[in-house]
Amino acid sequence: MVTRSPARAQEAGSGTNGGGTGGGAGGEASARQVAGRRWRSARGVVAALLAMAVIAVILAALRPSGSPERLDPTSPKRDGSRALAEILKQHGTPVTVARHADQAVEASGPGTVMVVTRSERLTQDDIDRLRGAQGALLLVEPTAFVLEALAPGLEIEGTSFADASDPECSLQAATLAGAVTFGQSQTYDVSGNAVACYAVDQEARLVQVQDGPRTVTVLGSSAPLTNQHLAEEGDAALLMNLAGARQSVVWLAPDLPTEGAGAGQESLTDLLPFGVKLFFLELVVAVVLVALWRGRRLGPVVAEALPVVVRSAETVEGRARLYRASRARDRAADALRSGARERLVPLLGLPRTSAQDPAAAREIVAAVARRTARDEAYVGAALYGPEPVDDAGLIALTSVLDDLERQVRQS
Amino acid sequence: MALTGRLGLLALLGALVPILLPSWWTLLALWGVLLLGVVVDLALAGNVRALRFHRSGDTNVRLGETAHVALIVENLGRRRLKARLRDVWPPSAAAAPRTVRVDVPAGERRRVDMALTPTRRGDRRAVTVVVRSVGPLGLAARQLSRSAPWTVRALPAFPSRRHLPAKLARLRELTGAHVALIRGQGTEFDSLREYVDGDDVRSIDWRATARRADVVVRTWRPERDRRIYLVLDTGRTSAGRVGDIPRLDCSMDAALLLGALASRAGDRVDMLAYDRRVRARVEGASRTDLLPSMVHAMAPLEPELLEFDAAGMVSTLMARVRQRCLVVLLTELNTAAIEEGLLPLLPRLTARHLVMIAAVSDPRVGEMAGGRGDLAAVYDAAAAERARAERGRLTAELRTHGVEVVDAPPQDIAPALADAYLALKAAGRL
Repeated sequence: MVTRSPARAQEAGSGTNGGGTGGGAGGEASARQVAGRRWRSARGVVAALLAMAVIAVILAALRPSGSPERLDPTSPKRDGSRALAEILKQHGTPVTVARHADQAVEASGPGTVMVVTRSERLTQDDIDRLRGAQGALLLVEPTAFVLEALAPGLEIEGTSFADASDPECSLQAATLAGAVTFGQSQTYDVSGNAVACYAVDQEARLVQVQDGPRTVTVLGSSAPLTNQHLAEEGDAALLMNLAGARQSVVWLAPDLPTEGAGAGQESLTDLLPFGVKLFFLELVVAVVLVALWRGRRLGPVVAEALPVVVRSAETVEGRARLYRASRARDRAADALRSGARERLVPLLGLPRTSAQDPAAAREIVAAVARRTARDEAYVGAALYGPEPVDDAGLIALTSVLDDLERQVRQS
Repeated sequence: MALTGRLGLLALLGALVPILLPSWWTLLALWGVLLLGVVVDLALAGNVRALRFHRSGDTNVRLGETAHVALIVENLGRRRLKARLRDVWPPSAAAAPRTVRVDVPAGERRRVDMALTPTRRGDRRAVTVVVRSVGPLGLAARQLSRSAPWTVRALPAFPSRRHLPAKLARLRELTGAHVALIRGQGTEFDSLREYVDGDDVRSIDWRATARRADVVVRTWRPERDRRIYLVLDTGRTSAGRVGDIPRLDCSMDAALLLGALASRAGDRVDMLAYDRRVRARVEGASRTDLLPSMVHAMAPLEPELLEFDAAGMVSTLMARVRQRCLVVLLTELNTAAIEEGLLPLLPRLTARHLVMIAAVSDPRVGEMAGGRGDLAAVYDAAAAERARAERGRLTAELRTHGVEVVDAPPQDIAPALADAYLALKAAGRL
C-alpha cells in the first residue's frame, strides 16, 4: 500500500512547513496552487516585458519613416529628390550623381557645387576626402561630425519645428526665394563671419560660411529638397539659387558604407569613453558586493526529513480507477450486489453466511420479493443477474439495489 | 563577517563618479573609501565572539501546544553588543520569533524567549544560534554561528483523554466501588461483609454466617494484576493517513487511553512498538509512571516503510511474556498482510494469550460506498464495497480464531477499544 519513499525535503528556515499537514489535498489542487504561486511571482517580470514591448512599438511608430531612397536624386518617391535634379538639368545645370565620396571628389571642380545628403552614411575617411574637394559645398542636414569637419565654427544648437519663415538675412539666394518650408529642422549656433538666415529665436536654419576659398552652405532641413515639398513656398527657388548658380552640380547620395571600409575598424570598446568603462567596472564590483550581501544568510538552511504522506484509501481509489479504465462492469456489479446482499441478509433474518452462498440465492430472492412486493424475476435479476450491458445499465443497477434495500428496511 | 545592502548601494552610486572624473585614481579612491568603511565597521562592531549562550525552559510539549524556551545571551566582552539574533530550529518546530534584536551591555546577560509550536511529533533539536552585529556605519557586520543545544520533545496529543473519566466511572461500577452499590461483577474473591438489603442471596457465605451472629456475604471483584501487552504496528500500513492523521497516531491515542484505564484498574501494562525490529518498549512501569513512559516512548516513533514482521513480533512477545496476558495488536486489517503474516501464527499466540486486534477504519471508504450518480462514483462504490467485504471477511476469520477485533473510525477507536477491554474485564476473561 505504501510504496513511496520518504520524502526528504529541504525547507527554508522561514518555517513554511507543509510536512505536518496536506495529504488530503489532491494533486490537482496543489498543481493549481503551484501554478498560481509561479504566476504571482512572475507577473512583475511579465508586466515589465509587456511595458517594454509597448514602449518599443510606440517609439518605432513615432520614428520618422526614412526610406532607403530618401533624398536620392533619381527617386520619384515622395521623399526622393528627382524633381529637383530634373529642374536643375532643365535649367542647364548638369547634375552628376555620386554614390561614393571618391566619385564626388573626382567629379568636383572649381566651378561645381557639391550637394551632400544623407551624411550619416559617410565614414571618417569619406569626410576627410571631402575636405579635399574643390568648389562649393551644400550640406543638407549634416551630422555633427560632418559639420565639424566641413563647416568650422558651426555647431548644431537644437531642433526647430517652426514651419515657414522669412529669410531676414543678406544672403541673396535666400532673399530672392522668400519664405521656405522647413518642417523639422536643425538649428545652428552662428559665430564669426557666417551669414545666418531663416532664424528662429536667433538660431539659424540656413547658414553660409566661408571656409578659406570655399563657400559652405548648411541647410538644416531636408524638406525643401524632397519631391513632396519642392513645390511649396520658395523651396524650389531657394535650391535653384543655391545649387543652380554654379556651372554644374555634384550630388553626393552615398550608399551604405561596406563593412571594413573607412573607420569601421574600431571595436565597441575602442569607441567607449574611458569613464564609461570605469563605470561598468564599478558596476560589476557593486553587483558582486550585492551578491555577497544577499548570499550571506543569517543562519543555515535547515534540512528535515518529512513524513510520508499517503492516504489510507488510496488503494481503494486506485482499484476504482482500474475498474473504470478497464470497464470492469462485471466485477463492479458483483461487488455492488454482494454488498447489497450482505446488508439485506440480516434484515431478512437469514444467517450472515448465506449472503455469499449460491445455494441460498433462491431463499434470499424469495424473501426480498415477499418484503418488497415485487416479482421474483425482477429481484433475482437485481441481486444475481448477469453483467450490465453498458455503463447506463451499471448506474441503473445501483439505483435498483438502493431501492430494494430501502424497501426491505421500511417493510 | 557579513556585508550589508548599504555597501552595495554605495558601490552602485559610486559607479557614477568615474563618469564625471574618468580616471583609475577615482576608482581606486572609491574602493579605498569603501574598504576603509568596511574595516572601521568590523573593528567597531560588537564582539560576537565574546558571547555565551545558555538555555532553559520546556523540554516536553504536547503536540499542538506551545513550548517556551529561553535563550540567555551573555556578553563577556568589554563593549556593548547590539545585534540581530536568530535561534535556528527545524521548520517543523515552528519557532517564533524568527529573528530578534538583542542589546546586551558588557558583562550582562539578556533573555530571548522563543515559542515553539511543533507541527509533528518527535524530537526537535536546536540547530544553532546566529548573531550578526552591524558596525556603526552600517556597511559590514560581524557574524557568528554557535551551537546552543536543546531538545524539545513533542509528545502525542492524546486527545482521547477526555474519554477517560467516563471509562473510569464504568470501571468503578464493575469493581463495586461505585456509589451505586452494585455488587462487583468480577470473579475474584475480595472480602466478606455484612448482608444489606438488595444483596444477591446467592452470594451469602453460609460458613462465615454460621460463625457469626450476622448474615455475611462474599464480595467479588474483577481480577487484578492481569497483564496487558500493547503492540503498536509501525510498519508500512501505519503510515496511511485517515483524514489527515497517520494511522499510527490514532493507534497511539487508543493505546494511551487503554493504558491509562488498565493501569487504574490495577492491571500491568507493557508496550511494544514493532515493525521488523523493536522500535520502542515500555515494560514494568509502575502505575504512576506508566503514562509518561508510554508517551515518551511513542514521541519519536515514525511509520517505517517496511512490511510488519508478524513472526518476529510473535517470537519477541513469546520470549518476553511467559504468563497469560491480553495482547492488544494495534494494526491495520490489510488482507494480504494479515493473511500471509499474522494468521498462520495466531494459533501459537492464542494458545497462551488472549489476542485483541484494533484497527482504524477509513471513513472515506464508507463515503465512497455511498457514492451514486455518475459512472466514476459507481465504480468508486464498487471498489469500496469490495474493500469492505474483504475487511468483513478478514474480521470474521480472525474471530473464528478467537481473536477479539475492534474496527472503528479514528474518532471512535480509542473509546471502542476501552469498551472492549471493559467488556472482557466484566466477563472475567482476562
